Amino acid sequence: METGIQGIIDLREGAKSDVADLTGQVHQLPSSIKFDGPSSVSQYFKPKPAGIETEGLMVEEAYFRGRKLQGTTVSLPEGYCGFVLGKKSNGKRISSDMSEENSNCWKVNATFENIMYWNHDSLPSQNDAFLRSLHWLTVAKALHNPVTAEDLSSTSIALKRLD
Amino acid sequence: MGSEVPLPKWTSKPCIMGIDEAGRGPVLGPMVYACLYCASSYQKPLTSLEFADSKTLKEEKREELFENLKANDSIGWAVDVLDPRELSAKMLKKDKINLNEISHDSAIGLIERVLKMGVLLTEVYIDTVGDAGKYEIKLSKIFPAVKFVVAKKADSLYPVVSGASIVAKVTRDQALREWVLDETAENMHRNFGSGYPGDPQTKSWLKDHKHSVFGFPTLVRFSWGTCNPYFKDSVEVLWESDKMDEDGSGSSRGKRQLKLSNVGFTTSKKKSEEIESSGKGRCRFFEARKLEQVTHF
Repeated sequence: METGIQGIIDLREGAKSDVADLTGQVHQLPSSIKFDGPSSVSQYFKPKPAGIETEGLMVEEAYFRGRKLQGTTVSLPEGYCGFVLGKKSNGKRISSDMSEENSNCWKVNATFENIMYWNHDSLPSQNDAFLRSLHWLTVAKALHNPVTAEDLSSTSIALKRLD
Repeated sequence: MGSEVPLPKWTSKPCIMGIDEAGRGPVLGPMVYACLYCASSYQKPLTSLEFADSKTLKEEKREELFENLKANDSIGWAVDVLDPRELSAKMLKKDKINLNEISHDSAIGLIERVLKMGVLLTEVYIDTVGDAGKYEIKLSKIFPAVKFVVAKKADSLYPVVSGASIVAKVTRDQALREWVLDETAENMHRNFGSGYPGDPQTKSWLKDHKHSVFGFPTLVRFSWGTCNPYFKDSVEVLWESDKMDEDGSGSSRGKRQLKLSNVGFTTSKKKSEEIESSGKGRCRFFEARKLEQVTHF
């Protein structure tokens, strides 16, 4: 187990208006593409509405490397925002002996408010791990919200009823 | 697409039909299945229409013959155009469908369509795809009232199949000529050639339209072995569905592909873990949602 990892994610720039808004352009594919860098996505990747609705999700179709993908656009939950982070090249470093490669300092390159996630060969579903992973946000909120006196009293009333 | 309603009177008399395909071999563009039918009593006049295996005819002759048969009230026809995107997608599905199966389904679809129109089909002639005997049994099971003749070189033996081959070939050529490329990259051109892997024009089109991340425009059938050499120096892409090949339960073709793409690539992580996070070892809530903790990204 690694311990004591330090990192800084600077989100301040995300609030600036000149940071790129990638809403509608972020895709999650069911494959691992061994490439980092710019590519002509909008010229080659052409999602089209499939004209199907399933489990309340509007289905879209696209092709990548000969595979048929079926996906849907998911808005990030209220109060959340997506960030595209990049290694911080200038500014302060944690220590001078850390090269940029090893640094764990990040800044916001772009923001987004939705994601299109894609399945290979299967329609998007509420049971997909991607959609289910968002459940964590609700659970986390419940876990981390401070417990009020009202919460305690209503729980004890409920417990008494069970007896 | 096909000849239009209302149905001519002769269709209620016993009819024969031929089925043939065009564009099975090419690495790009659609594959077309076509059928041509007429009354059994029209067989003699049919032989006088100069139908021959479409491959032996010049393009202008094929087009002229297609125009003639379209205008002929004693002949009916229909086509099934299989999009290259559909072909690639089926052959690269998690449960791969091979080209023979796709071909069989297309032919079966045409027979169903013509029967549904109300044509009294009694005999169907068809060029063999795979084992002729098995194919014949498969067809007879689905359509017990029809007599099937599945034969090699049916397109040169039976005029009704030759006619179908002309419909298929002209339709395929026309579809490729009028193909609208989905992609909007610059410097794209339409000199596809015939689409056959050996055609120099097709080869140079493939070379001109190779893309390191996307592979090719969707006109290309990604599932064709011809594509593999072009993918050699492009960006590696790992799919969840290839995971099975790693375990040895997938097809041998997939395995070979994966090996090819593995050259010069080492990792301590399992392939599957690179494709998606696992949440393994965490509480069930996280594991089910594939949520893992990340300290480096």
